[in-house]
Amino acid sequence: MKPPPFAYARAESLEHALTLLDEAGEDAKVLAGGQSLVPLLAYRLARPTHLIDIGRLPGLDTMRSDDTGLVVGGLVRHHELERSAVLTGPWQVLREAAGLIGHHPIRIRGTFAGSLAHADPAAELPVAATALDASFTVRSTGGDRVIPAAEFFVGPFMTVLEPAEIVVDGRFPAPPAGLRSAFAEFSPRAGDFAFVAVAVAVALDDGGRVRHARIVLGCVGALPLRAGEAEDELMGSALTEQAIDAAARAAAAGCDPVDGPHASATFRRELVAVLVGRTLRRLREDHP
Amino acid sequence: MTRVRGLVGADVERLADLPLLTGAARYVADVHRDGEVHARIVRSQVAHARIVGIDTADAEAVPGVLAVITADDLPDVRIPIRLPLADTPRARRVLQPPLARGVVRYVGEPIAVVVATDAYVAEDAAELVDVDLDDLDVVAEVATAADPGMPVLHPDLGDNIVSSYPLHHGDVDAAFARADVVVRERLRMHRHTAVPMETRGAIAEVDPATGRLTLWGGAKVKHAVRAALGEMLSMEPADIRIVEVNVGGGFGVRGEAYPEDYLVAFLALRLRRPVKWIEDRTEHFVATNHAREQEHELEIAATADGRLLAFRDRAWCDQGAYARSQGTLPELLPALHLPGPYRWEAFALETTGVLTNRTPVGTYRGPGMTEAAFVRERLLDVLAGRLGLDPAELRRRNLIRDDDLPFTWSLGAGSAPVPPISYQSGAFCSSFETLLERAGYDELRREAATRSGDTISVGVGVATYVEVGAMGPFEDARIAPAADGSFVVHVGVASLGQGVETVLAQIAGDELGVPMDRLRVDHHDTDAVPMGFGAFASRSTPVAGNAVLLAARDLRTKAAKLLGAEPDDVEFRDGHVHGPGGASCPVQDVGEGRGRFDKPHPTFSFGAALSVVEVERDTGRVRVVRHVVVHDVGRAVNPALVRGQLAGAASQGIGAALLEELSYDERAQPMATTLGDYRLPSAGELPDIEVIVLEHPAPGNPLGAKGAGESGMVGTPAAVANAVADALGATGPQVTTLPLTADRVRALLREAT
Amino acid sequence: MTWIGEDDSAAVDVVVNGRPTAMRVPARRTLADALRDDGLTGTHLGCEHGVCGACTVLLDGRPVRSCLTLAVQAEGADVETVEGMAEGPELHVLQRAFHENGALQCGFCTPGFLMLALGLLRAEPEAPPERVREVLTSNLCRCTGGGPIVQAVLAAQRELAGDVA
Repeated sequence: MKPPPFAYARAESLEHALTLLDEAGEDAKVLAGGQSLVPLLAYRLARPTHLIDIGRLPGLDTMRSDDTGLVVGGLVRHHELERSAVLTGPWQVLREAAGLIGHHPIRIRGTFAGSLAHADPAAELPVAATALDASFTVRSTGGDRVIPAAEFFVGPFMTVLEPAEIVVDGRFPAPPAGLRSAFAEFSPRAGDFAFVAVAVAVALDDGGRVRHARIVLGCVGALPLRAGEAEDELMGSALTEQAIDAAARAAAAGCDPVDGPHASATFRRELVAVLVGRTLRRLREDHP
Repeated sequence: MTRVRGLVGADVERLADLPLLTGAARYVADVHRDGEVHARIVRSQVAHARIVGIDTADAEAVPGVLAVITADDLPDVRIPIRLPLADTPRARRVLQPPLARGVVRYVGEPIAVVVATDAYVAEDAAELVDVDLDDLDVVAEVATAADPGMPVLHPDLGDNIVSSYPLHHGDVDAAFARADVVVRERLRMHRHTAVPMETRGAIAEVDPATGRLTLWGGAKVKHAVRAALGEMLSMEPADIRIVEVNVGGGFGVRGEAYPEDYLVAFLALRLRRPVKWIEDRTEHFVATNHAREQEHELEIAATADGRLLAFRDRAWCDQGAYARSQGTLPELLPALHLPGPYRWEAFALETTGVLTNRTPVGTYRGPGMTEAAFVRERLLDVLAGRLGLDPAELRRRNLIRDDDLPFTWSLGAGSAPVPPISYQSGAFCSSFETLLERAGYDELRREAATRSGDTISVGVGVATYVEVGAMGPFEDARIAPAADGSFVVHVGVASLGQGVETVLAQIAGDELGVPMDRLRVDHHDTDAVPMGFGAFASRSTPVAGNAVLLAARDLRTKAAKLLGAEPDDVEFRDGHVHGPGGASCPVQDVGEGRGRFDKPHPTFSFGAALSVVEVERDTGRVRVVRHVVVHDVGRAVNPALVRGQLAGAASQGIGAALLEELSYDERAQPMATTLGDYRLPSAGELPDIEVIVLEHPAPGNPLGAKGAGESGMVGTPAAVANAVADALGATGPQVTTLPLTADRVRALLREAT
Repeated sequence: MTWIGEDDSAAVDVVVNGRPTAMRVPARRTLADALRDDGLTGTHLGCEHGVCGACTVLLDGRPVRSCLTLAVQAEGADVETVEGMAEGPELHVLQRAFHENGALQCGFCTPGFLMLALGLLRAEPEAPPERVREVLTSNLCRCTGGGPIVQAVLAAQRELAGDVA
């Protein structure tokens, strides 16, 4: 299980990285933390001709939040998200999601942009980012594009990212007032890839009725799945038991997971209902 | 003069920890020989196919590649069966060639070997070996493998049956005719295996001056591997040296003779360079022995008041695609263990080994007995439910009574020739009561009932078993004094991390009356220890330990004779032997102590397990919240190490019960080839295991030891399964297969509603 | 810096256990293999896909899987392996605690667990027991199941806290 041969270059700046990417052609890969890419190399499931190492580029490893929203640099490591004091309230879902990625040493190395660009259908951050209506800034020598999460992921391990583009950051718009969010998943062991992941974000109006709802499911399809009918069940409700149950049922009914050797479709559907119900109840109980 | 005593029975510190803690230990991958080159095995990606052609040209053209070999380059040899009791004419017809000859029969079967100057390059080149295969139909499951019309894996065998072990005791039909209740179920134990943290590996080198071959990476049964290689390479065993370095866990699967041991030796002889092969983890999951998969049709007859009368069992035991070095053990061992510790009036069983297009099966910690315990104990709980009896009470009424021992099953006409199933010592009933009492069984039952609710169901399960161990035929030991007053114990066992060096040194030290720091145990090298049977069947302490004890007594007797004293009156101190009245002589004048302990029949010992689980009803997740194991080890030479063995084995058993599975799809493609898919339990999935060590000394061996390395495993999957079944409700769906993954538990709960 | 070709070797300067070390490695060589080639064979390879944790080392003080890190990625970094833990003949508190708590049998996973625990106790000396157990689920031990390892790390943590006070 040794990586296949490739050419390697360590970028000294983002501009340098983009130039190297242009040079290297379409079978090149960007290497950040390597926690998804290096296992694929070991299995020889990925055979890039070139790796461009951006792992320690300055300037991409910071987070900032203000009244326009939150910006997470592409090289912010999962363990920084996991322990960030900034990621509470509306952003809580990011912190919880990051804390469930693999194990501690994986979270030390793995990067925010790496997880997004890898687009594993079982990954946590794409689900969490979708629930917060995030967009991703991607850059090439030709300039920047800002791509909404809903358009960024197009299939298992597939995004709209062009070969010469790098994910620079994630942009999370200013949340609706009072937005709260949460994440949950079911995995057979601590640190395993999840069978089902759920991100929810809910804001209530002054009367305690839901005026904004996002329910996003992971691991039940090729990409993060907005559970629109479940969100509709919540809208206007007072997060009552009945509304939560209805949303959980709608989320389960609205997804179409595949049968796998480790988890059947029926089981995954049940888990969707369970986890949607649990996260919504947790939001209600944390902030009565 | 008094002798220093007290080492045997004490929690003496492990001898060999220091290098393990500092990184100085040397495992096989850490062995480097000048000029070494690296082998990479090309393996079949399909389960059953005719080999049409193999094109090695592209691989040979890669810079750094020294050789690419296929079966055409090898003599037509097979890996022989190690144990006479598991060697049958039919099994001999399905032995594995080191490289596939004409047909591949499982995913992972070696087809070719590439040797290169670097492991990375060898892997590159191996990808370029082009194997042209013509697919054949596959046999992908055990239950139907022997059915008429199935593809036959080895055509000259005629069918897919390796061997059958029928055993009969008493008049089964009469007993069933008298029964008030009969329960029957089809029960299946799933494929899983040991998965030690270190993969296998070997490095072979030929001495150009003498032509002798050295193979590093030996473990478990070095002398048997030496004999097997001698036979396959047409060399004298004396010209082969097998060296055991540090071993990263064995649990039964590591150290048997495998295709790769032969291949690196063959290549080293051919290339005249040291050849190294380190298995990678995805290879490990298809190349190293699998274990356990069996289906049983079991029925039990009992009276209304809960007296067991008889059982019938028909079992299909998976062998995989070939018989390997352990021959027919996959079907022989469950046959020996199905009766277990109960007073049956009669039984009739037949276990049949069948071939499937999957990785060959060998022994894994508690082989055969774990499977037998699972099917028997699970069905006993079904019976208890039917009778409205507490499961512990059902067992209490039927265990062989303490004063019935020794006890031997008489086997009737038509039974296969097997070793005597004879329980020589122990106290089954009182040992079981000890478990119930120390675990607080009655209270646990009450708690389970009160704590169970809509979200969590709590269950309690027990299982009992007898376990074969201390297998012979014999072991030799030699104790050589050194000038500095230390002693070297030479004995043909193997260290797999279980602490055997410490235990054997304790035994020698106690008998010689010398402290631990004066003792060294040498077992690493077949040149230094020319004879030995190795580490399997929980035999190191009861067989080798007694040989060491006899060798130490021999040394003491010889010393006494030299000084004209009684054996009990001599003292080993400061490089001298001292007798009464100031007589002394250098210890080297005494010569060596020698001991041989013969063990014509194995020893059976009793144990039991108790498990408490919580089932999260909406997700199906099972958590073992308490797990207690008890085992009669005869005598615990080092109780702390015994507890470590029992707890470690029980941890593996919990993994087997809840998480681990080597599943295959209908094309016999393996579904678990990484540590992500094959789920070993971590500290997050396991409770702290509670261990009760009981000592009812075995007669017929001076130490009284019975073996302990496997015991924590044997009852554990059964106890966990019974606890989950209890949590789901006695009238609910039956637990008939493992592992009890969340998915399966949810399916059972769905079935119940 | 320009490209290192697939057949070329790169010069990688790292500090290994306090000692400046110049490695020459092909771009694709993992940090684990590079360390082992350098004689530091206490770093073990149990899976090479980032699950078992036997290869855990400290990279700039934090535990990482050295099988999932390319040697070239360690340029300029501080690497600590199990060989650097003991000070001469004096075992580290964690090493002693493993020995005293039955936290090792075959020893293959031990270096990885020691480095994982060392990284944790340095960064979070007051980590509560649940956090210690959670982090220790990162690695696998087939012999003990891991429970005795948790006990050993908690014992070492208590001893280290006592030393500070």
